[in-house]
Amino acid sequence: MSQSQTQSIFSSYEKDPKFYDEIFDEDGNVKKVYQTLFDLYSGHSSQDYARLNDKAKASFFNQGITFQVYSENEAKEKIFPFDLFPRIIDPKEWEVIERGVLQRSKALNHFIWDIYHDKKIIKQGIVPLDLITSSANYLHQMIGVDPPGGIYNHISGTDLIKHSDGKYYVLEDNIRCPSGVSYVICNRTALKRALFGVFNHYNAHTVTDYAQNLLEMMETVKPRGVDEPNCVVITPGVYNSAYYEHSYLAKAMGVELVEGRDLFVENDFVYMQTIKGPERVDVIYRRIDDAFLDPLEFRPDSALGVPGLFSAYKKGNVCLVNAPGTGFADDKAVYTYMPQIIKYYLNEEPILNNVHTYHCSRPDELKYVLENVDKLVIKPVDEAGGYGISIGNRLTKEEIEKVKKTIQASPRKYIAQPIMSLSVHATYIEESESFESRHVDLRTFCLLGANKEFVLKGGLTRVALKKGNLIVNSSQGGGSKDTWVLKKKS
Amino acid sequence: MEYTIKYKAKNSYETEVTDALWQFLIAPQDNESQKLRLAEFKNSLNAATEESTNSLNFNIYRVIQRKAFKSIDFEANFIVRKEEVNPFSALDSIYNAEHYELINSLDFRITHEQFLNSTELTGYPGAGLSFEFEENRSVFDNLQQLNNWLFTNFKFKQQVTDIRSTPEDFVARGAGVCQDFTHLFLAIARKNKIPTRYTSGYLHQGNGYKGDSQMHAWAECYIPEKGWLGFDPTNNLIALENHIKVAHGKDYSDCSPIKGVLYTSSSTNSTEYSVEVFAREENAPDVFTQSQSQGFDDRANQQQLDFQMQWQQQQQQQQQQLRKQFSAKF
Repeated sequence: MSQSQTQSIFSSYEKDPKFYDEIFDEDGNVKKVYQTLFDLYSGHSSQDYARLNDKAKASFFNQGITFQVYSENEAKEKIFPFDLFPRIIDPKEWEVIERGVLQRSKALNHFIWDIYHDKKIIKQGIVPLDLITSSANYLHQMIGVDPPGGIYNHISGTDLIKHSDGKYYVLEDNIRCPSGVSYVICNRTALKRALFGVFNHYNAHTVTDYAQNLLEMMETVKPRGVDEPNCVVITPGVYNSAYYEHSYLAKAMGVELVEGRDLFVENDFVYMQTIKGPERVDVIYRRIDDAFLDPLEFRPDSALGVPGLFSAYKKGNVCLVNAPGTGFADDKAVYTYMPQIIKYYLNEEPILNNVHTYHCSRPDELKYVLENVDKLVIKPVDEAGGYGISIGNRLTKEEIEKVKKTIQASPRKYIAQPIMSLSVHATYIEESESFESRHVDLRTFCLLGANKEFVLKGGLTRVALKKGNLIVNSSQGGGSKDTWVLKKKS
Repeated sequence: MEYTIKYKAKNSYETEVTDALWQFLIAPQDNESQKLRLAEFKNSLNAATEESTNSLNFNIYRVIQRKAFKSIDFEANFIVRKEEVNPFSALDSIYNAEHYELINSLDFRITHEQFLNSTELTGYPGAGLSFEFEENRSVFDNLQQLNNWLFTNFKFKQQVTDIRSTPEDFVARGAGVCQDFTHLFLAIARKNKIPTRYTSGYLHQGNGYKGDSQMHAWAECYIPEKGWLGFDPTNNLIALENHIKVAHGKDYSDCSPIKGVLYTSSSTNSTEYSVEVFAREENAPDVFTQSQSQGFDDRANQQQLDFQMQWQQQQQQQQQQLRKQFSAKF
């Protein structure tokens, strides 16, 4: 490797001691796990990367892997920017993540079961009653319902960040059919296509076994009396931002992709219309929100769902993946109770850290938040996709006053957290044609079935492409990286 | 007491409906104070009918019509026996501080949380009301006072409110129908921490009570040491043998007698709907006799029209909704 080439590709790379750098250590040396990659990359010119970057982009466009961004009046079709520099996680570090994610997923499942049955955790005074009953995602329809296999959050997507202290923290748990796994798989495909020579130097776990594990998990939660369950994926349709993912997963599992109108309910069993006549459906991976599942039980104007689906579910004749009504448990206000929830149900110490959270619903904490808006991130309790977040140190005086008023108007709706400094990672930047440091997080994917557990060895590393930006959501202009979990050296 | 109940509905559309499904929550409940002795449900198209239960375990009928049609009639007949139970006791009017301690306890609030929180249709009106629970008065007496206060201060009047009216609207107009009386009752009782549920059913029309030619609504409250007891604020009555319960829920939306999913381009339709309740001789043979009268109710009519209009409008807006609802969740 020549010094001049290193200069050209990493010349704009700024090292900021405020943030944990995934690639360089405190002395500016490349970390051991990245050394091979770094050496290989340094052997190429910036023109090579510009060309590779175009190739990778074209591959995504050609595969139709796009998503939509929503603003006031319009929706735009975009590709999810893919970054050429992969993230590498060594086996020791990954082992902790895997155990931690699984622990949370199991604790959440116990929690949801308890809330829809005995509510012991509330009776014990650990979680307040109002926290649950005031959540729009707590469904009375689910009280006393026993889902097949006792599983509610079959699929969890826990988002992690690495703070300046070098430790992983959980930002949130997504248990309302989290999306993004198809990007994990496409990123791997694209990276292997563009940089096969590089990939071959590392011994990383595969990510393409996700679909197989998803199907196996679904088969464990089949209804009583069914030997070989018929599984399907239900989508709201081609207008949905994640339609690509729905069709990808159905294809990869070898099951039907259906819309609400393809299914019907008769005598509390669910059937699919086929050219051979009606065929019973046993397990449904549903990518339709709770409110739209069944117009007879939830929103009466939903044309996306299946009339009568909920009574079939309640009678145990079909399994919905994930169960309806899990949304109260991944609420940002409930998140703050996760350490206690884990201890209560599993009698274990939490493996992954929670970010300290202030509840604006508590008067003393509200007072602190109002006095320290500039040092905090203010988040609405029930918005997904990074909408409605205010980062205190980015606000003008007027904006701070505005935020304070909004919080005061409905304190229950907001929580605040210290501004976490997401770790940075080398990322290819088109404008400068070089690698610069950008903030990253990590979405993990965990499956929970009846006697089946699986954490995808990999995940979606999301990158905030705008310099200094901390919000990595694709809807807010984020990109993603292939994420390699290395195998243990035997 | 024994009753025969006849429920009829007729739906007509200007253009053909190609696919339809209806769900009826109209069958009297079997419980300790009433026995459903006989039930039949039929429709003019001989469309397939199924029995199932809703999420609160009340019995429903589902009718599925997969062939094109322009009009359909539904008819249900029930024979119900009501037990004459005297719910009153000497203790009802005696103030008991323990009862109020109980309703404030965490365990009690957890057990009854489903019927303690306000909903869109049962929000407590912002404007000050002239009714308050009185201290040192028994729970039962306070609820009796509430029943009486509603009956005295509000007029029963059709077509001033609709199915989406809130207690606030009802207070502003000073008049409405049984649903409005019940929703305001629920709002006030729940604010005073009494578990209260919306109850739908039939009212025996013999005594000239209000709300008799349609499905009726009243409130059930959980009174410590006593259990659930029905209050009918439209008539200032305790729900006894004249009240035949069908279902309960958080508010009207859990109890609407008919829900439907239709696929049609029809912009106009008409719906006729009637309910008749007759007292019958005790232990007479369990057969249905022909009824004489045929009354259609305007408000019920309006509800049906509202519902179907809403459905059609929403179908048109579907595309837009899809885009709005499913924002990228990354």
